[in-house]
Amino acid sequence: MDPLEPGNRRDFLKLGVLAGLGFGLSAIPSAEAKPDPSQLKHRAAADIGAIRPRPAGNKPVWNLTTKPQEKIRVGIIGLNRGRTHVISAAATPFAEVVAVCDILDDRAKEQAEVVRKQTGKTPAIYSGNENVWEKMVARDDIDVVYVATPWEWHKPMAIRSMELGKHAFIEVNCGLTVDECWDIVDASEKYQRHCPILENCCYGEEELFVLNLARQGFFGDLKHGECGYIHDQRVSGTGPKGYTFLDAQREWRRNYATILQGNVYPTHGLGTISQYMGIGRGDAFKYAVSVSSPEFGLSQLRERVKPDRDRSKDQKFVCGDMNTSIIKTELGRTIVVQHDNTSPRPYTRGNLLSGSLATFAGYPNRLAIDADNTSPLLDPKEKRHSHDWTYEGDKLKKFMATNMHPLLKKLMVESKKVGGHGGMDHVMNHRLLDCVRQGITPDLTVYDAAGWSALLDLSDRSVRDGSIPVAYPDFTRGGWKTLKPLPIVS
Amino acid sequence: MGLPENSHRRDFLKLGALASLGLGLSTVPSAEAKPDPRDLKLLSVSDISTTRPRPAGNKPVWDLTTKPTEKVRVAVIGLNRGRSHVNSAANIPFAEVVAVCDIVEARAKGAAASVKKITGKEPAIYFGDENAWEKMLDRDDIDVVFVATPWEWHVPMALKVMEKGKHAFIEVSPAVTVDQCWQLVDMAEKTQRHCSIIENCCYGDEELFVLNLARQGFFGDLKHAECAYIHNLGGGVLWSLGSEGDWRRDYHRFMDGNLYPTHGLGPVAQYMNIGRGDAFKFVVSVSSPEFNLTQYRDKHQPNGGKHKDEKFVCGDMNTSIIKTQLGRTIMIQHDVVSPRPYTRINALCGTQATFFGYPGRLAVDADNKHPILDPKEKRSSHEWTYEKEKLANFMKENQHPLLKKIGELGKKVGGHGGMDFVMAYRMLDCVRQGITPDMTVYDAADWSAILEISAKSVKEGSMPIQCPDFTRGGWKTIKPLGIVS
Repeated sequence: MDPLEPGNRRDFLKLGVLAGLGFGLSAIPSAEAKPDPSQLKHRAAADIGAIRPRPAGNKPVWNLTTKPQEKIRVGIIGLNRGRTHVISAAATPFAEVVAVCDILDDRAKEQAEVVRKQTGKTPAIYSGNENVWEKMVARDDIDVVYVATPWEWHKPMAIRSMELGKHAFIEVNCGLTVDECWDIVDASEKYQRHCPILENCCYGEEELFVLNLARQGFFGDLKHGECGYIHDQRVSGTGPKGYTFLDAQREWRRNYATILQGNVYPTHGLGTISQYMGIGRGDAFKYAVSVSSPEFGLSQLRERVKPDRDRSKDQKFVCGDMNTSIIKTELGRTIVVQHDNTSPRPYTRGNLLSGSLATFAGYPNRLAIDADNTSPLLDPKEKRHSHDWTYEGDKLKKFMATNMHPLLKKLMVESKKVGGHGGMDHVMNHRLLDCVRQGITPDLTVYDAAGWSALLDLSDRSVRDGSIPVAYPDFTRGGWKTLKPLPIVS
Repeated sequence: MGLPENSHRRDFLKLGALASLGLGLSTVPSAEAKPDPRDLKLLSVSDISTTRPRPAGNKPVWDLTTKPTEKVRVAVIGLNRGRSHVNSAANIPFAEVVAVCDIVEARAKGAAASVKKITGKEPAIYFGDENAWEKMLDRDDIDVVFVATPWEWHVPMALKVMEKGKHAFIEVSPAVTVDQCWQLVDMAEKTQRHCSIIENCCYGDEELFVLNLARQGFFGDLKHAECAYIHNLGGGVLWSLGSEGDWRRDYHRFMDGNLYPTHGLGPVAQYMNIGRGDAFKFVVSVSSPEFNLTQYRDKHQPNGGKHKDEKFVCGDMNTSIIKTQLGRTIMIQHDVVSPRPYTRINALCGTQATFFGYPGRLAVDADNKHPILDPKEKRSSHEWTYEKEKLANFMKENQHPLLKKIGELGKKVGGHGGMDFVMAYRMLDCVRQGITPDMTVYDAADWSAILEISAKSVKEGSMPIQCPDFTRGGWKTIKPLGIVS
């Protein structure tokens, strides 16, 4: 199930053939054609988990260091979601927004003005057509390119950015298929540029608190995690009658529900759980199984609202409303990952971590601590039994404040002021840009980007094949066995 | 998978061969040897999914009616868990506890005395050895036998109960293996006796409320459910000698799957009409590593260290997903050793509403036009529409008719907050009226089968395992469970 790297001769040959046909990494055309998600290449179950051999000359980037520098120069593509990164970078003293880019002129101008107001300097503006980003990434005064465009653009933009010597910070999801994930890993290793996934949820208050505890061994032996992206996106947006999903501008996202059948947005929940468990750093995903419910949500909404003068009336939605996947790790742990954005229920990312000495559950936050837990963080005189949540409500808030992650201690006040999903966007941006400033490896690497995003394709494959377990590709090519765990950032 | 009954010639022949070797259904021996769970017959991947042909002469029991009777005469085997059923039955005017049975003399006498205290009449007492129950079953004045013994005894006892013309009410899980599930189904169909799983959680306040709403279409199209048995027994019950510690921990030594699926699954299966319009199609299952039983044993050395050589193979957390014939999904978990509070999750997701338990929360879609809602109420599905007090009021207004009738008496008599009594009352009342109980042998088999099926999936690297159809196609036409009134 988990073919070892040297044994993959068949795949090696296959790749060789592809490269010879001009489909290899080096053959990025000079002007990107608009990517068509319906043409994505989905691998068969038998080889979706295969490890693509590392091309000659490429080197791992998990310990990549770069030259420290005083100022980090940033360019941002995609200013709907990217707006938050513009604001963050403009508010970060050691960062400079040198260019912004969007297909819409107004959006680009507006964000340039935001930067000018904040810093007094107007960034260069790129807008007006689908290929204008290529001009921006060709500049030689950019260190980091943020890619915050529709999903199908993520990979080509990121790879071009790295090819042209920039670090690529990619919004979630980073790759739509396992092949795309390999492509960004190979590009990062070839050009020796960072390619972190911009998973802001890894920098949420409660997530950093749980990470801090987990790193200190508070949970004992980790056994199980649960996470999800459950967010009713039918409503509360800017589309007709407030229906986000039927908004013409979000058509690209809705379209994925006509193509893919698994978890189309796995990383918000999975990123944090992966960090708790040290995935890619001592443990790794082994396989995934996935099951989808029937589809009702989008079809019924469309019938009721008849949006966009009925332009979606012939769309057939194939993505089940609720997808539940289970990942098994190499150390035997289990992770439940769910996706549902069309059901009537409140937002949750689950965020559950279960260990032999404690259990944390989010939404709302609750922490149960075993009677035998002797962590120095605990009052040894406190009586506990696990039939209750030891800490919840105010008691938990106090415990969270006492055990706040060092990074958050540093950035708490500033991030609340700058904002962006309650501040976590700014904590993330500050931290990742600070890594580049110091020249150290960011907390989130291309291996995380690939590993977390790959569930999209793997879950789709499992669902299509009747929920068979699908082997997880090892994007570290064995590196996870020796990579050191993520340190506690201070 | 869903092959027509008659096409299973191969299995038919195989069964025939077993029968001629004396292992068939009809050959329940006269004195049962103590069953060893390790001798349980576990099936191969292909056999576990096979729907067995109905033996000639057997008839379905999903609509089985019996002669109404004024008094329902009850006997109870196994007076640890069974004590609750004794208490319930003794408090039901139309029931009479005629006999009680336990291997432990004191337990039998204690239960008998408690019946006398309530009713003035002392039941017959059977105790002292592992086969005392067989003598009890020879009596001809018993209508219903509650089987509340260690799991390995459930099936042999229930089979004998039905053979002797009594209805068998079996505690959870009624069966450990799929093969046993078929034995129960075939015996119920052969003897035309009821063989109900006594899943008390189907009669909880919250569960009956959700069932009531689901039956009225409040949730719209049902798509997904979640349930569990998460109950930390690892520092107590599982080591308690003279009680469950004698036998229950043993299953953690040879099975890795969901060892106790029915408490969560029963209510969810009723919400979704499993066996009555929908059916389980396949299961995938994944287990976490095992830590807590071993760690607790090593640290605390319970019972003087006598368990030091036990090796536990059952992963602490098992997560399974069931896919149904209508495409719905059910996530079901089992964890009886981790440091966390009790939950059965009890979540039901439809197009018009979502319910979650622990604590109870209900989100109602803005477009839900159900008549029990106030049409002027503004709703957004980004919040729980009803929780806490507001939910408590809504639950009261929409209380299940059964609870309205006997809920208060249930609270007084008790047993898991009253649900034991509500269940016993309802099930015995069905026998009194001669109607089919809410829970049939097909429910007993469907829900219990997840135990071996999940273990099989885990063993096969989480491969999907197809569920056998214990109704043999009946689920396509059997009418949904009525709203009991």
